[in-house]
Amino acid sequence: MRSVLIAQLRAHAARLVASTLAIVIAVGFVVATLVLNATARSTVLEAVGAQYVGAAAVVTSTDGASLADDVDTLAGLGSVAAVAPSYETSVQAGIPGRVGSQYLFVESVADDAALRWQRMTEGALPDGPGEVAVSERARAEVGDVLTVTSYDETGGESTSEATVTGIVDLSGDPQAGLFGRAFVTADQARQWGAVDPVELRVAAAPGAGDEQVRSDAATALGDRQVEVLTGSERADEAAANMLGNAMALTAVLLVFGTVAVVVAGLVIANTFAVLLAQRTRELALLRCVGATARQVRRGVLGEALVTGLVSSATGAVAGIGLAALVSALVGGAESPIPLAGISVPWYAPLAGVVVGTLVTFLAALAPARAATRVAPLAALRPVDQAPLRSRPGVLRLVLGLLLLLPGVGLMAVGVTAGDVLIALPGGVLSFLGVVLLAQRGVPPVVAAAGRLAGRLGGVPARLAAGNATRNPRRTAATATALLIGVTLTSAFVVGAASTRATAQAGLAAEFPTDVVVEGFSGELPATLVGTLAGTEGVERGASVLAGTVTGPDGEPTGAYGVDRDEATAALRSTEDLVLPGPGQASVPEWLAQTWDVADGDRLTLGGGDPDVEVPARELTVRVIDADNPLLLDAAELRALAPDAALGQVWLRLADSDPERQVDVVDRITDVVAEASPDSQVTGLVTMRAEIDEILDALLLVVTGLLGVAVVIALIGVGNTLALSVVERRQENGLLRALGLTRGQLRGLLAWEAVLVAGVAAVLGVLIGGAYGLIGAASLLGEIGTIVLDVPWLQIGVIVAVATAAGLLASVLPARRAARTAPVAAIAA
Amino acid sequence: MSVPVMTVPGEPPAATPAGVAVRAAGLRKTYGKGETAVQALAGVDVTFARGGFTAIMGPSGSGKSTLMHCLAGLDTATAGQVWLGDTELTALRDDALTALRRQRIGFVFQAFNLLPALPARENIVLPMQLAGSRPDPVWFDDVVARLGLRERLGHRPHELSGGQQQRVAIARALLPRPDVVFADEPTGNLDSRSGAEVLGLLRSSVRETGQTVVMVTHDPSAAAYADRVVLLADGRLAGELTDPTAETVLDALRGLGA
Repeated sequence: MRSVLIAQLRAHAARLVASTLAIVIAVGFVVATLVLNATARSTVLEAVGAQYVGAAAVVTSTDGASLADDVDTLAGLGSVAAVAPSYETSVQAGIPGRVGSQYLFVESVADDAALRWQRMTEGALPDGPGEVAVSERARAEVGDVLTVTSYDETGGESTSEATVTGIVDLSGDPQAGLFGRAFVTADQARQWGAVDPVELRVAAAPGAGDEQVRSDAATALGDRQVEVLTGSERADEAAANMLGNAMALTAVLLVFGTVAVVVAGLVIANTFAVLLAQRTRELALLRCVGATARQVRRGVLGEALVTGLVSSATGAVAGIGLAALVSALVGGAESPIPLAGISVPWYAPLAGVVVGTLVTFLAALAPARAATRVAPLAALRPVDQAPLRSRPGVLRLVLGLLLLLPGVGLMAVGVTAGDVLIALPGGVLSFLGVVLLAQRGVPPVVAAAGRLAGRLGGVPARLAAGNATRNPRRTAATATALLIGVTLTSAFVVGAASTRATAQAGLAAEFPTDVVVEGFSGELPATLVGTLAGTEGVERGASVLAGTVTGPDGEPTGAYGVDRDEATAALRSTEDLVLPGPGQASVPEWLAQTWDVADGDRLTLGGGDPDVEVPARELTVRVIDADNPLLLDAAELRALAPDAALGQVWLRLADSDPERQVDVVDRITDVVAEASPDSQVTGLVTMRAEIDEILDALLLVVTGLLGVAVVIALIGVGNTLALSVVERRQENGLLRALGLTRGQLRGLLAWEAVLVAGVAAVLGVLIGGAYGLIGAASLLGEIGTIVLDVPWLQIGVIVAVATAAGLLASVLPARRAARTAPVAAIAA
Repeated sequence: MSVPVMTVPGEPPAATPAGVAVRAAGLRKTYGKGETAVQALAGVDVTFARGGFTAIMGPSGSGKSTLMHCLAGLDTATAGQVWLGDTELTALRDDALTALRRQRIGFVFQAFNLLPALPARENIVLPMQLAGSRPDPVWFDDVVARLGLRERLGHRPHELSGGQQQRVAIARALLPRPDVVFADEPTGNLDSRSGAEVLGLLRSSVRETGQTVVMVTHDPSAAAYADRVVLLADGRLAGELTDPTAETVLDALRGLGA
């Protein structure tokens, strides 16, 4: 049989293209997922944990106490080569060619080379005072001399100059874009106001292991409030903080991998059914000349094994290549997804090959069993004319319902309780139920759709509807493969849209202002609002008065005054920051406690200046979040504090991408610096834009990943049609003889494909949309107010693409069918 | 060697005389190329009268099925011409040929005559539906009644006996009142009683409604139902019989060495 197997493989290599393709894509996907996952983790680890990766141990103060005195203690240990305390401060830096100054976060550079983690784009790290290396965000060049304004502990201001020696590469660090960062020697950092290092990084002496350094350091500092971790532990911790939960990411990606493999499995089973149906006569002939059923089965399974192995290996290589390509494309662009280079974990290609081969083998089992049932006489007999009847799968029905009903119940509980951990297993259970029930549910829907199509498409559509329901089991299997892909894609699209809408609403509530300009020492010029509102990229501005009032406890307190209409227009949301109208006061929680007032209470405020006599005002209290100031209506504040002047300007920027908004913030900084040199520009606009961009990119990537499952499923649609064409050769020949034109025959197959793909797409979108909404509701229920959002356009695109691709899948089989000579019906 | 054979020069393609349903001139069909080429038809000239029942006979490999396929527009000839009435089939492209088949030619095959997914009624009207036309209900009832299918119209093919299936195929062939009905071994898969029934129905359609029928068969007793037998051997005409009986057909076949 081995020679027969080899001959078969050689002769039918072309026929195996479809299954090979399905396996290659599925395995490639799994491997690429694993590799990209590992790459993302190592990139984040490298970027966020970069400063820890090179260190043997990291000592962190848990009570905020200075570790400055412990440096020598640790440096004296035998296993320690060097200790680098981390000094951090912030300064205002004036950059040549720019009017305004900008904030720079300053951190100290280690003296020891082993603890210097910074990657340089250009130049070198500073070696002494008066030198600084900056991140790209600072927009300075090597050789520039920065004018640095620093503040000491007591707030004393001093100005110095520092020359830029190098630019530090922070690519991959998701925090890189927010503010500029500066790197200086420890001495310089101290001069610029850094005190009390709370973190020490320790390098190992030659021959000493990380763990030894960690335990030595822990012993030496036994009586201090510190946490001692090895460098890699600390890096993991930092990366995990950054990634939210690294495990969750892996789990999500592996779910997609599983989906691809399951879909591929269905397609491979289909492909083998096609191949064996094409060879019924050949197999029967083998039986006729004396091959046993077992030999035939072994031959078929051997073929599957070889195919699986070869295609899986190809898929693994393709997957690594794909990951490298994605990494290069994404890493090259300014993308919020951290990818640099490529790291291939040993288990990725192995898992791909094992999974691919196993799935192929398992998928071939059923067709192989069917092949052994080929009677020897089949070689000599025309094909059976009676339509296939599938056995009623009572077991499948019961099992499907047993999974579906409790699953739906769990999801209902999960949504009401707002607990994704309850809803998730419910979703998995019910989806398995859906997949099992699809076999029963899909054919009637296809039949119904077929009746509708028959009215529209004439005879070919009516015939196609009959054909599509003739082998319900196969139709269901084909549709199910597509259904899974479409369901998950739309679940994700709907879920992500809702998550995004909710996150945006939440961000807007939490950070209602895009940019705030605040006078550091006193008032801002009144004309500033108009100037800023006219700046390119700024949509609206609102002026906020600052003044002093006296509370019911007799103590003076600072208050801001706003015009509610003007301010509302400049805010993203007034959900958390409730603005007061005339006769109202928005009181932060801590102040409400001090004054002992609650929502709706009346509050009497007096003038803030004891020298100026003003009548007290009685206002209605509205308690707001603690991190806000006391807010009054502008007119009320003016009445209480006649000297109230412009204290803040709130700005709302036009929506655009983070890079453009950084430009706008720079322009604002320049304008403010000219008008009022000692004022401060802050704002979270870039953070919001970046979160938006990350969600967008994630959505795109995941949709792309699930698109792979859909592509594999469509190969399945093509396969099923190919099988139809093979099985219905005589029938198609007869139709041609009776007057079906070539075009009509192609139309017949196109209708069949559209029926199966369209039904799968529509059902998938409905089920997936429900899953997406349930998932978002249960996931975000924990967070707060849920904003459900159904992206109709994307949903429509999914249905259209799946159906159109089904049509595309029918092209090759249809061409083959159209070539069938009418004589084929007679020459059986 | 494949040699393109042209019509004989100087012989204009004459108009088909009235009373002739189908006509072939210089019909050749070669399968394969070069060394392995097989000549199935080696220049056949034949006419079939309107309203006649003709049987084409010959030993295995004589080319009788190929001749029928070429006459019916199911297969393309290598050279030569076929006319259906005044239409030259050999000059038509695939779509025109397909349209012509569904409107002007009826078929009854040996096996696999019916679409398994469709009930008998839909199988019968299928060619007319494909042509976008509606059957004349009176004629439909008449054909169905004569073929004894009134009670079977809702059945699917696998619920019918072999004889019943062939009767459905004959009904389908007769319904569009085609110029000619081609039957390819219509009794090949039937027991003798059902076979006789089918042949009787074919003959009565010729006698009663003037339908032209051309039938390929290798069974002398089936050929005896025809008005005329055309004999074929090695891709060439090898004689013909009028008003044949099973014995005269058998004798003629023996003369061909079959």
